[in-house]
This record gives sequence, C-alpha cells and structure tokens, in this order.
Amino acid sequence: MTASHTDTTPQAVAASAPRRKAFDLDTALNTFAAWVLALLWILPLAFAIWTAIHPSAYEARFELFAPLTFENFEKAWAAAPFARYFLNTFMLVSLILAGQFLLCTLAAFAFARFTFPGRSVLFTLVLLQLLVMPDILIVENYKTMRLLDLVDTIPAIALPYIASGFGIFLLRQTFLTVPRELDEAARIEGASVLGILWRVYIPLAKPTYLAYGLVSVSHHWNNFLWPLIVTNSEETRPVTVGLSVFSAIDSGIEWSVINAATLMTTAPLLIAFLLFQRQFVQSFMRAGIK
Amino acid sequence: MSSSANDTWTGSGQDIRLEAVSKIWGGHRAVDNLSIDIPAGTFTVLLGPSGCGKSTTLRMIAGLESVDQGRILIGGRDITHLPAAERGLSMVFQSYALFPHLSVAENIVFGLKVRRVGRTERDEKLARVAGLLGLSELLERKPGQLSGGQQQRVALGRAIIAERPVCLMDEPLSNLDAKLRHEMRVEIRALQKKLGFTMVYVTHDQVEAITMADQVVLLNAGHLEQAADPRELYRRPATPFAARFIGVPPMNVLPGAALADIDPGLSPHSVGLRPEALVPTDNGPLKARVTSLEYLGADMLIDCETAGAGFTMRLPGDREVAPGSEIRLGFAAQDLHVFDGQSGRRRDDLAEETGRRMAG
Repeated sequence: MTASHTDTTPQAVAASAPRRKAFDLDTALNTFAAWVLALLWILPLAFAIWTAIHPSAYEARFELFAPLTFENFEKAWAAAPFARYFLNTFMLVSLILAGQFLLCTLAAFAFARFTFPGRSVLFTLVLLQLLVMPDILIVENYKTMRLLDLVDTIPAIALPYIASGFGIFLLRQTFLTVPRELDEAARIEGASVLGILWRVYIPLAKPTYLAYGLVSVSHHWNNFLWPLIVTNSEETRPVTVGLSVFSAIDSGIEWSVINAATLMTTAPLLIAFLLFQRQFVQSFMRAGIK
Repeated sequence: MSSSANDTWTGSGQDIRLEAVSKIWGGHRAVDNLSIDIPAGTFTVLLGPSGCGKSTTLRMIAGLESVDQGRILIGGRDITHLPAAERGLSMVFQSYALFPHLSVAENIVFGLKVRRVGRTERDEKLARVAGLLGLSELLERKPGQLSGGQQQRVALGRAIIAERPVCLMDEPLSNLDAKLRHEMRVEIRALQKKLGFTMVYVTHDQVEAITMADQVVLLNAGHLEQAADPRELYRRPATPFAARFIGVPPMNVLPGAALADIDPGLSPHSVGLRPEALVPTDNGPLKARVTSLEYLGADMLIDCETAGAGFTMRLPGDREVAPGSEIRLGFAAQDLHVFDGQSGRRRDDLAEETGRRMAG
C-alpha cells in the first residue's frame, strides 16, 4: 500500500505542477498588490506612531533601537484642553447619532410601510439630498444657526446632519425586507403601529443600525470644516478643530507632539474599528443596497 | 407541566357571519357577494383553487384587508370596520410569521406582552400551551433553530395562548412534507375540538378540507359554489365545479347525450358519474371503448371514450381489461348526478326521473 502510494505521488505532483504554478502567479500578483496598497495606506499612520513615541530628534531619522518615550503625549495633553475637546466630540457624535436614529427610523418606516399622497415625491427629495455636497450649504446653515441663536453651541454643529438622507434610505431599504406577515401577525396580536416598529422592525434592522452608527460616528468624529466655522470657544470645539488650533499655535512645528495629539484624537475610533471590524464589514454586506 | 386541574380551557367559540361581502381590486371582484354562516365552535374550511378569493376572504375576516361591500359579524357583533386587534381572533400564517429575533417563549407570549398581561399569568399560560404542544424543551430556542413542524407548533401556540374565540389559518400546512402534514392535520383538528374555538381554515388541498372540516365552503372565482359538510359535498355536489373539485380522480362530467339510451330527456343537461361508481356490466347502459389504463396496485384507472367524450373509471387492480376493447358499463341510480344545462345547478328531479326509467 505505502509503496504504491509513494510511487504515484511524485507523478501526481509533476502532473499538477504547471497548472498550480500558473494559478500561483495570479494569487501572487494579487497578494503583492494588496500588500503595496496596504503599506501605502498604513505609512502615514506608521509615521505618526513612530514620531509620537520617540524623542523629536528621531522625527526624520529611522533607527530601530531609538529610545521610546511618552513625553510627546504628556506635552500635547498639557498644551491644549483635550479632555474638554473629547467631551465635546463625544457629546456631538452622541447627539447626532441619537437624532439620526430617531428621525431616520420614523421617516424610513413611513416611507417603507405607509401609502400617503406625495410619498414618491417626498422620497425623491430625500434621495436628492444625497447628491448635495454639504459644504455648499455652509453659509446657509450658518445663517440658520444665527437665526436660531445657536452659533457656538454643540447643537449647532449637530443639527444640519440629523435629517440624514442616507440614513433614511438605508433604513427604508432594510424595513422593506421585513416580511409583511410579521407586521400582520403583530397587528393581530394587538400591537400598535409604533409598537410594531419597536418590537418587530427595529430589532430586525439591528445590523443596519450598527453599520450606519459606525459610519455616522466616524464621519462626525472626523468632521472638520463645519465645526470650525460654527464654533469659536473652547467649550464647544470638537477634537478636530481643537487639534488644528493647537497645531497652529506654535510657530515652530513639533511634529512629534502634533502626531501624538493626532493619535490621541483618532485612537477611540481606531480601537472601535478594530473591535467591531468583522460586524462592521458583515453588516454592510447584509444591509447592502437592494 | 399540564396537570389535569390546569387543563380546563375556558375559551369557547363564537359564530361568524358574512353578509354579501365583496372585495374589489381595481374593478375586478376578487370576492363577489359572498354570504357564509360559520356556527360557533365548528371547523370551517375555505376551499378553492388559487385565485378564488379564499385568502382574501380570510384576510377580510381578520381585518388585514378592508371590506368593500357587505358586513362581517363575529358573535353577533358587527366588526366590519374594527381594527384586527379588536376582533377577538388569532391567526396562523402560511409562513408561520414567527419573529426571528425572539425565542420560542417570547414568540408565544408576544400578544400577552403587548396587552400587558402580568408576568405570573403569562408564565402560567406559556407553561400550559408549551406542555400541550410539546414545546417545553424548546422554549429558549430561536425559530431559525427549529424544524418546520416545530415552527408550525410555535405558531399554533401563539394563536391559542390567548384563548380567543376565533382562530384563522391561512394554508398552515403547505410548507410541510406529506407525513408531517398528516400528523399536523390530526393534531390541529384535535386541538380545535379540545379548546372549542371557531376555526376558519384556508386551503387549496381538498384532502385537508375533507379530513378536517365540519363545513367546507367551496369558492370559485370569488363566488360561493357550495357550503356543506364533507360527506354532503362528495355525495351531492351542487355544481359541476364542486363535483370535479372533490374526489380523486375527479368526477366525470359528460354531456347528457351520452346517456340518451336511458333517458333522451337528459340531452340538454350534463351528467356526472364518479370513477368509482362505474362498473362493467354485460348489459350496462353506457357503451364505451377503453383507450388506456393506469395500474396503481390496489386498483387501476381506466380511461374510456363514449360518443366523443372521454371519462375515467376506477376498478379493482385484479380485473382484466385490454386497451382498445369495447365494454358496457353500468351504475347505481343514486350515483347519477344531473346538472342543469342552463344554470349548471344540481337537478335531483331529473336524476330521479332517470333512476325510475333505469329501474323500469
């Protein structure tokens, strides 16, 4: 048995070798390209980490055994009120997310399950919102905030984003996939309209909420232009604006301190993404636009 | 779980009355002027081919579809315009409609929770229903982890836990395999008898209708063809449609001229003879030629032809019949059905007249 087995094996290998080689080349090219792209993408981050954890003398010098230090983080933390900025950003993204969930859920439910005159016109208007660059509206939005007497407050940063066309669209698509019979079964069991939304639709749309929540949080965590314009005091500035103000104070630019500050401000997002990476990708695939 | 003291069910059925109910979809009358009486505590099956309006009728009773004309009464109360939740009924859907994010226990008590029934009462009822349906071991599972039959039981549990006077079912067995279907048929029927609610059950399967129903309501293209108990429906079908819908293989409906030898008066009408009612007799009144035969073991189906009309008969499997041969067939007078040539309705007077001629 063993003898005949060892006899045939080399032949089999030889026969399949050329085919395997051609297949390997394809995979190798793909792998190579993936690595190149990944390295390109990670380079700025790697540089930021490198400069942040080494003394400023090593900013442009790469030595494997350069001394490690946390001094840059301490300096950055002391140089600007980052604790306050973090609190502001945290309040900002929470406010936006809560507002978006509430508003988009109700709007999406109405578009998905009710027929009312003007429904398709209204939904088209919501979709058109996706085509408008938010930056175009900065002046108009600023005027509105002035009118509401909200300039330089956290709600002023949040308000323009709460009625999110993308959120409404995404949730509507998800709600449409919920079988009608579940809706009807809940209705016969005596659930009210909002009860059905709460007990049937929302639990079934959980993956979509997770995916949309992560996108929304990361987008508004990183948002810069609008907060920069509408805020002008320490009490309202989110981290992005705080960081830019901080890096502009010193005329002598200290890259290691700036990068330490940058790392601090992006760390919560990075950690969240690494933790939720799988759910994040999966839920987007499942919530895929149909 | 279900001790005998615990096993008394207080629920009792209520009668349902449809008075000239119509449903119109863009000019098309999906349900046309339908009047049905469903006595309290009975098992009524709405039967018919797909598109006959049986599901629409059920959904109108449930309150999931509006009633365009006529009215519906449950227990003497006009519920035509009441929301589904206030009609005092429960429903089992074809897809079972179990909430995939809730466990079996949560699915069953969903309605009680919505109606804010206390926790102790809820748990008590859950334990009783789970015991009754053999679900006690599965209460923590999600519907996705259950087999089709188990899912069906959960849907039943959700329907019976509140002990509503009326239970509606929309083709609940169509997703099960044949063996399980038979078991569930027996189980559902036993459950309905035990709990005493009024059941309205929609199916397109005549076997389900015949085996389970106290009353079969046969619908065709939105019209009522016949409402009767299964025996009556088989023995005395009111129309050729009813005659051909019940029974396998269906009843042979021939032009009356095929029996002109016995009674020339039948010529303008149609006559119906069940395949199992025909027997070869040397001097039988019906002359036919055998065209083909299908051997099924216990019996066989024989396709014949007479005066240009084809029909089928069923004979015991041990009979010798050769295709192409000429045979003469007879039947008992009470097995002859006559349908009016104009209205299509049953004409017992003509059948009796022919019977007298056959005897005489």
